[in-house]
Amino acid sequence: MSGGIARGRLAEERKAWRKNHPHGFVAKPETLADGTVNLMIWHCTIPGKQGTDWEGGYFPLTLHFSEDYPSKPPKCKFPQGFFHPNVYPSGTVCLSILNEDSGWRPAITVKQILVGIQDLLDQPNPADPAQTDGYHLFIQDPTEYKRRVRLQAKQYPPIV
Amino acid sequence: MAAGAEAEADEEELEPLFDYSRVQPTMAFSFDDTDIEKSDIFVHCNKRRKVADGDGDANADEKGDKGEQKAAKAAAVVDLGEEDWLPPPPPPKPKSTVTDESEQSSVLKELRLQKQAMAKFAESADDFLEKLAQTARQKVEARIPTEHIDLDKSPERHEAREKVVVTVQDKAGHHQFRLYKDEKFGKLFRAYAKKVNLSVADLTFAFDGDKVDAESTPEDLGLEDEDMVEVLHKTR
Repeated sequence: MSGGIARGRLAEERKAWRKNHPHGFVAKPETLADGTVNLMIWHCTIPGKQGTDWEGGYFPLTLHFSEDYPSKPPKCKFPQGFFHPNVYPSGTVCLSILNEDSGWRPAITVKQILVGIQDLLDQPNPADPAQTDGYHLFIQDPTEYKRRVRLQAKQYPPIV
Repeated sequence: MAAGAEAEADEEELEPLFDYSRVQPTMAFSFDDTDIEKSDIFVHCNKRRKVADGDGDANADEKGDKGEQKAAKAAAVVDLGEEDWLPPPPPPKPKSTVTDESEQSSVLKELRLQKQAMAKFAESADDFLEKLAQTARQKVEARIPTEHIDLDKSPERHEAREKVVVTVQDKAGHHQFRLYKDEKFGKLFRAYAKKVNLSVADLTFAFDGDKVDAESTPEDLGLEDEDMVEVLHKTR
């Protein structure tokens, strides 16, 4: 039953996403080698917000859903070593709405998750550091931090 | 007189089963046989009851432990039955016991049948509700958007080929175009570029993060009504 609930909800999310989603964002379930779709893993893209140092970057993010979704939040991962104060070295995103014991609610949609993470990019939470590199530069050397962000944005260019 | 009455009573009771009414010692033996036979019947009834209980447990709980527990309870029930059976006179009690047990079995069977019927009814009700929900969703989804641009208004061609409504989204908003599923996207791209007064050469279209080839068709990408294609401006 719980497995059925997770997949049913994810199928609905995918249908809604195809018809309406923010510009520049991508969110699609993983397609396996044999052409079948794995609803429990989604490959996404988050564009850097216009007017910020992140602008121009299209950052890949993977969402891992469990059979307990939507009771439990998905695990969201940028590539390993992604530069951001609230992203663990493994790429896992540290964000209140993604924490089952904090801000997560079953009603939160995939769209809200992705927009929330986009907001987090340019508005780090220094009170909850997840990596030393990003955190230290953000706190102690804002200029170098900005340079690193712009550099990373260039490393993830758009498909154009 | 008393002995005669007793003899008559014995004869009446035993006539259907035995033909040795005249021989008293044989009658006594028959009495013993009757006890043994009825005991066997009782045992059989108990066995049936155990089997029935076991089946019930398996169907209801699907747990070995509970099955064993109920088996133990069944054994306890058997003991109680024996105790109840011994004190009263043998002839009438066994019959009533047999009747009670058969009644219990039939009652249990009826209960199980009713339970199964109720379960099936619940399942059919669930199916019905699901179908209703699906129908409602389909109706909502099937709503045709009030405003969309029809790329080909020829009624003749319309009859033969299937169409799809594609939403084209840019940073400013979105526009909807209606085109044949087997029509090349190039036509859609040019229609959009014309609408927003831009050169199609400066635009890139993407679906699910992948570029859309001008030579491909909605059918190629598996597009469904109101699916969203995005426009990106090429950087120079």
